[in-house]
Amino acid sequence: MFSCCWCCSALRPRYKRLVDNIFPVNPQDGLIKNNMEKLMFYSLSSPEKLDRIGEYLFQRASRDISRRRNGFVIIAMEAMDQLLAACHAQTLNLFVESFLKMVQKLLESTDPQLQILATQSFVRFANIEEDTPSYHTRYDFFVSKYSSMCHSNNDNITVRKQIRLAGIQGLQGVVRKTVSDDLVENIWNMVHMDKIVPSLLYNMQNARYSNKENATPESPTEERSDPPQFAETCMRELVGRASFGHIRCVIKPVLKHLDNHLLWVPNYFAIHSFRIIMFSIQSQYLYTVVEALMTHLDEHSQSPLKIRTSIADTLSKIISIAAGESVGPSVLEIISSLLTHLRVSVSRNLSSTNDEQLYQEALINALGEFANHLPDYQKIEIMKFIMSKVPYSKLDSITTAGKGDVLLQSILLKSLLKVGTKYQTIHLNTTFRPSFLQPLLRMSLASDAEMRLLVQQIFHTLIDRHKNINKLTKPTVNIIDLNLEIEKASRPDIIFIKKHGPEIYMALYESLELTSNNVDNVQSIYTTLALLTVELGSEETVLELLQLIMSLQDLALTSIEINTAIKFNLHAIVISLLVLIANVCNISNLMDYGNKIVRNRYKEAPHLLPDLCSEYGHLSSGISSSLLVDQAIVSECLKEVGLETNELQGTNYSNNSLQHRYSWVDNTGCNSSGDINDGTIELDSAGSSPSVQKKLPGEELTFDSIKRILTENSNVQMMEEEKRMQFSHLFRNTPFPDLIKKTQPKHDVLQSKLSEIFNVLNIEPRSQSIQGSTPSDIKPSQTPAYEIHFPELFVY
Amino acid sequence: MKGLRTSIIQEKKRTEFVIMEDYKFLFKVVLVGNAGVGKTCLVRRFTQGLFPPGQGATIGVDFMIKTVEVENEIVKLQIWDTAGQERFRSITQSYYRSAHALILVYDISCQPTFDCLPDWLREIEEYASNKVLRILVGNKIDREDREIPTHVGEDFAQRHGMYFLETSAKEAENVERLFMEIAAELMEQARCKELPRYEQNTTSLNGKTTSIGDAGICGCSRLS
Ligand SMILES: Nc1nc2c(ncn2[C@@H]2O[C@H](COP(=O)(O)OP(=O)(O)O)[C@@H](O)[C@H]2O)c(=O)[nH]1
Ligand SMILES: [Mg+2]
Repeated sequence: MFSCCWCCSALRPRYKRLVDNIFPVNPQDGLIKNNMEKLMFYSLSSPEKLDRIGEYLFQRASRDISRRRNGFVIIAMEAMDQLLAACHAQTLNLFVESFLKMVQKLLESTDPQLQILATQSFVRFANIEEDTPSYHTRYDFFVSKYSSMCHSNNDNITVRKQIRLAGIQGLQGVVRKTVSDDLVENIWNMVHMDKIVPSLLYNMQNARYSNKENATPESPTEERSDPPQFAETCMRELVGRASFGHIRCVIKPVLKHLDNHLLWVPNYFAIHSFRIIMFSIQSQYLYTVVEALMTHLDEHSQSPLKIRTSIADTLSKIISIAAGESVGPSVLEIISSLLTHLRVSVSRNLSSTNDEQLYQEALINALGEFANHLPDYQKIEIMKFIMSKVPYSKLDSITTAGKGDVLLQSILLKSLLKVGTKYQTIHLNTTFRPSFLQPLLRMSLASDAEMRLLVQQIFHTLIDRHKNINKLTKPTVNIIDLNLEIEKASRPDIIFIKKHGPEIYMALYESLELTSNNVDNVQSIYTTLALLTVELGSEETVLELLQLIMSLQDLALTSIEINTAIKFNLHAIVISLLVLIANVCNISNLMDYGNKIVRNRYKEAPHLLPDLCSEYGHLSSGISSSLLVDQAIVSECLKEVGLETNELQGTNYSNNSLQHRYSWVDNTGCNSSGDINDGTIELDSAGSSPSVQKKLPGEELTFDSIKRILTENSNVQMMEEEKRMQFSHLFRNTPFPDLIKKTQPKHDVLQSKLSEIFNVLNIEPRSQSIQGSTPSDIKPSQTPAYEIHFPELFVY
Repeated sequence: MKGLRTSIIQEKKRTEFVIMEDYKFLFKVVLVGNAGVGKTCLVRRFTQGLFPPGQGATIGVDFMIKTVEVENEIVKLQIWDTAGQERFRSITQSYYRSAHALILVYDISCQPTFDCLPDWLREIEEYASNKVLRILVGNKIDREDREIPTHVGEDFAQRHGMYFLETSAKEAENVERLFMEIAAELMEQARCKELPRYEQNTTSLNGKTTSIGDAGICGCSRLS
């Protein structure tokens, strides 16, 4: 046949002769170089002939393939490669058509070597920048075929690996060729992505590290000899090129693949893949990935818990990467979505199986991880946000909150605690904005003792700035041994505690009044107080603290409801705090006095000292006065260091400080400074209800009086409600001490109104607040700002 | 500038490539069905004329090509052989869409492979073009231990508007016929609709490929 061609060669077109001449008689001899040069020269000088040359080469190769003369096929392909490389950009598209047909022809053959050869040529082509892309070219077949090659199951392991590598390489080529120009082919089309993505993942999942915990995908080397490594490189490239509209097209097949190949449990590979995605994706789209994973969690709502837990865990492992880039609404959306999952999980299974708990933990971890990587101001936002999701409208009702609510509360508080531990307080006033502090204080009086413990733990982590938390978990009278880290309180801190101390102390006091307390509750409140002392202790604030501990001692002595063990616990934390306060504020005679009581107790009543026990046997509850903290002596100690005269003279505070029980309210001494950092809406709003402070009889501003006022106030409001008529009746006819107890479930009102009053006291000069009106002047219509932020706080 | 250039080239292509291509029709055929029913063997028997001894299960998707002659026309069949296993479902599904014909295979000696057919049909409904030519194939008729009588398979095919054929890849029973009839049927459909033929799009590389399935079906004869 060839001889025939030779004889009639003179009649053949020149380009055909030139093409024929590059083939040797014997294929092993390879391309005839001289003749190839002639062909090249010809095609460069007559570029309009390029398409015919290409077509003829293709036809020759087709014929050779069908006759299994692979040697000639290889030569034809080589010639095409050289022509492609030599072509000028403008004339390239004349040639591309036949070039790609040639590649396809070779890919269609069953010979792996031809397939690999074709792929190499294709990749060379893919790396050429075309002036005028071949818009009519379709890459459908290439995507399909290369994806298929990625799954090669050739019996020969070496060949299998080669084919798979070629498949990956081919896909990379298609992506590179098409990604920049949608007119060429929309490679992001699901038809393509559904093939490309699983093909890459299938190769990746066979990697060494994909089943190890600590895979480090950070520094890949383009290893073209290792299919998993190479597939990963391609995956990065693909993800890196995805713009916003395309991300889902990549993520969806990833999720589907992980589902299909059961790669969630265990989730090493899932985490690995998602890390790769997170590290490769354009940073402004990171959030989309998180969102997609979150949606996937939704879709798995009926799946086994282990799968959901694994997905949530994967989320927690990548979410931090997104945190750095997430801004504004997307942050809260993520948090909100996580909280929703928690809520669903809680409502799904009230009995909380172990698996369900693991799932919830994974979600909470995700939350914590996310928060951990947000700037601090956003952490505060998140804590506020979580707090706003805590259902506590029911807390307020006389009946106890539903079991689901309690669970949700505790889950949310756990999340809050998680976020809180990632947050480093700098100034207490930025951490404890009223809109956050108020609901937290309210929760600190929850009827569930566990919950109260959680709230105190949240306080601990947020108050503790000097890592004293572990030293102060248990009360002790040996302060020196603790080696406390103490820094002088800053001005904003002191202003904060001046302003909010009373409501905090009030809540802690009331929390200690609750009869469902156990040792842990008492201990945790001790820790809160001790941390406050350490963080904020100063001559300016010592008085309120001491007043509180006097009140606590009083509570231990007079309460008829608290059990004896808790009473002993109270005495023990009273003396521990006294010693601590004296030390922190460095009041030596108070230290001496404290130590004296400690010694006395040690001899006569060691049960009034730490450690706290839940059971004390049959000890008498009678306590001789020498074992108690005496107000008069404490007062004397303070006077000796000149505290009272310097700080408090000229105010009403001295009148009712230590002489009156519970009178730790006034702080007019720092009115002017209180103004400095105000400016929060909360304060403005509170200040806009002048009627509040007008009615307050300044001279008798004591705990009792405020409590009475507030009780009356809530009494009035309740009368407006038919269904609560009975209660108001009760209120009017019950002796005051009992009334206090009865109103305890209504502490919300008490708290919010109280804080409102405190706010007013802080910003209003005393002179304006003398003559009073009636309590009913506090109109419900005057909504404080924090109720606007958190409508659910509004209990009426 | 770009656009102009392209249109010139496409013009060129239309006039020239018709003569140059070595086939007139290109059809994509996809095989589906449980793992082990003999899909790969059917393809191998047809494309290579052999019954492969103990090859591994297909992973993902396999590809074969075979050129046949129907009524003096050259027809190229692109055959995509899919893995039956559940875990490859997402990648295999992605091949359904562009299929002109879907061959759904079960093993006549294995009831469960027949019982899964409704699931496969659901898959096909969801992912393939609704005009795709669907053929039900009961394979391994050489086996003695038949569990699915022919008429049961036939009934099922009829109820679901599918063509039906029983084959043996091992004994080369009906294998050639299966693919040849598919080729003929698809060619008939292509002609009925007087669609632009594949010679105009030559390979799937070029121009817009008009899928037969996409463009509606006409009353064509059934495989008998
Ligand atoms: N007896 C018999 N066995 C067959 C036939 N076709 C395939 N097999 C066997 O069935 C098994 C699975 O075949 P395979 O083609 O891999 O099935 P696939 O998973 O559907 O691709 C192999 O052991 C084949 O030898 C057939 O027609 N008759
Ligand atoms: Mg198979």
